[in-house]
Amino acid sequence: MTKSQNLLTEVESKELLKKAGIPVVETKLARSKKEAVSISKEMGFPVVLKISSPDVVHKSDSGGVKLGLANAAQVGKAYGEIVASVKRAYPEAQIQGVSVQAMAPSGVEVIVGMSKDAQFGPVLMFGLGGILVEVLKDVSFRIVPVTERDAREMVKEIKGYPVLQGYRGQKPASIPALEELIVKVSQFVEKNPQIKELDLNPIFAYPDKAVAVDARIILE
Amino acid sequence: MFEEKLKELEPVFHPRSIAVVGASATSTKAGTVWVWALKSAGFPGLIYPVGSSGGRIGDLEILPNLRLAPGEVDYVIVAIPRQSVLELLDDCVAKNVKAVQFFTAGFSEMDAQQGRKLEEQMLERARRGRIRIIGPNCIGVYCPEHGIPFLVGMPGESGSVGFVSQSGGIATKLATIGIARHINYSKGVSFGNGIDLNASDLLQYLAADPKTKVIAAYLEGTRDGTRLFNTMKEVARVKPLVVWKGGRTEAGAQAALSHTGSLVSSSAIWSAMLKQAGAIEVSSLEELTDALLVFQQFGHLQGPRAAIIGGLADGGGGNSVAAGDACMENGLKVPTLSSETREKLSELLGEVGGIFGNPVDVSQAQFRGLAALFQAIDLVAADAVIDIVLIQQDIDILLPIYSREGLEEINEFLIELGRRQNKPIVVVLPSGSAEPERLQIEQKLLAASVPVFCSMERAAKAIYRLGQYSRYHGVK
Repeated sequence: MTKSQNLLTEVESKELLKKAGIPVVETKLARSKKEAVSISKEMGFPVVLKISSPDVVHKSDSGGVKLGLANAAQVGKAYGEIVASVKRAYPEAQIQGVSVQAMAPSGVEVIVGMSKDAQFGPVLMFGLGGILVEVLKDVSFRIVPVTERDAREMVKEIKGYPVLQGYRGQKPASIPALEELIVKVSQFVEKNPQIKELDLNPIFAYPDKAVAVDARIILE
Repeated sequence: MFEEKLKELEPVFHPRSIAVVGASATSTKAGTVWVWALKSAGFPGLIYPVGSSGGRIGDLEILPNLRLAPGEVDYVIVAIPRQSVLELLDDCVAKNVKAVQFFTAGFSEMDAQQGRKLEEQMLERARRGRIRIIGPNCIGVYCPEHGIPFLVGMPGESGSVGFVSQSGGIATKLATIGIARHINYSKGVSFGNGIDLNASDLLQYLAADPKTKVIAAYLEGTRDGTRLFNTMKEVARVKPLVVWKGGRTEAGAQAALSHTGSLVSSSAIWSAMLKQAGAIEVSSLEELTDALLVFQQFGHLQGPRAAIIGGLADGGGGNSVAAGDACMENGLKVPTLSSETREKLSELLGEVGGIFGNPVDVSQAQFRGLAALFQAIDLVAADAVIDIVLIQQDIDILLPIYSREGLEEINEFLIELGRRQNKPIVVVLPSGSAEPERLQIEQKLLAASVPVFCSMERAAKAIYRLGQYSRYHGVK
């Protein structure tokens, strides 16, 4: 656990991103089991539940994430398990409840992030998600503000670019949607200098759009 | 763009008078050497040596104090210990000096706290007296058209390449390699710690300077990344900007910190920044000078399609294959020549023993005389599928076949071809045992504006960068 008062929750982060026109998977906060079930019904099954706490940075490490919940009974059970598990791991953590979102169909996983460089200020990063970003460090950077041209080059520059084009029958990712998303993140970051770090990880890219499935914003 | 910089920095690059503080009649201290360097480079203005020793340097009297200079002093070169720099700045203010360059070192690059504090005091005094500072910890300005050399070395010919360098050592190497390879500079500046005039100011000046057509930069870090980024974007839009960032590795970065007192950032971010600014990144002195050579000579490249003539006599086969690899691996295209050209080549040189696709092997010309060789090269260069021609000459092989006179004639033809053809011609001269002859040919070609490289790899890399620039900026 990282005690971080400057960490916005997933719901808060996505709220800000959505307002900035950045596509995110709609996510709502449920403060009780009952609320979780009713939100799930509203969103349609299957759903994903995640712990909502400003004190928990790595949600899945503490059993704070449950995927693919198919009905009200599963949601109710998962709510109890998540809260209990996080309380066990971090007794001090302030728990708001759980976030509920529809389970997004799988797409090509990519990541867009921002961190601040001591010399050049906010820098955006783009890469393929999962193991490729962590192990192979196959990522590209650009300084904010990122223009359309910069975004185009950023996407094209990574070695895994063919994966985005639809490798071995996999559905391609919409490159224009990714470029647009990057430019919007750049504009968002430029307008909000109080943001210290940002992670859209993963973003699911589909043939016609790209949507941030999880998001994290850390303030100065 | 940045026209105001021309006027602002006029006294830096074209001072009417220079005082050198720290000169002595008896020693060979930096100040003394500087006075001799200015004299021998033919600096057209007045030179005032200043030092406590008294006496003369040549025909120049050494003044005990800057304030005693009989006329106006535009520019001051300072080579005295750092303990005395504040006092000296007071003298400069009293004398209405326009710009001061501090060779003196031992500031923030050595002692982050004390050094930085002293730099701030210097800057404050300079600002009050409307004086611009270059350095400290630098060798200042190189301006061959105005007879200003670096501390060491010859002034060289005045040309079209401008450069800025955080390091004096790299600046000196750039200047001297330039002289050897006929890269001719308009202006060069080593700005050291850059407490006042820094990379951004100097790049803006070079962008505005009508004499400068190509700009190079050696940088280790920056204290104002955002301004540097924005400046580079604007500069690269009007002139090719080739940048070598030193301190890319951890070890290099450590040295950078203690060297010029700069903040360091990861190389990936620098590379991204340079790409984004439309600058061309290189990663060594060799790559930098190679790139400058082709940028100076050609300015832009129509496209990346290269014709490779691997050898002009025996031994062309394997060399052609290797040359083709070198070009392709470094981003050039090596398209097959048109069928028309291939037919004409085989008519001219016979079908046996030649390769006319591309790379081209014209070694059979040795049995048909130089006229046939020239005709063959002409055919290749004229092919519409080709944007640039690379010709490799192995002097060890050519000498016994064509003799010195023949070689002379071949290279005169290549020079003439370069002038006549609308396409860039580049020559590769690998080292071998006939080194004196090789060097002689290299100098002859370079003097006639034909770029020469010692390997196909280096040539290809430099040409690729020229193409990269042309593509990025849509320059054709």
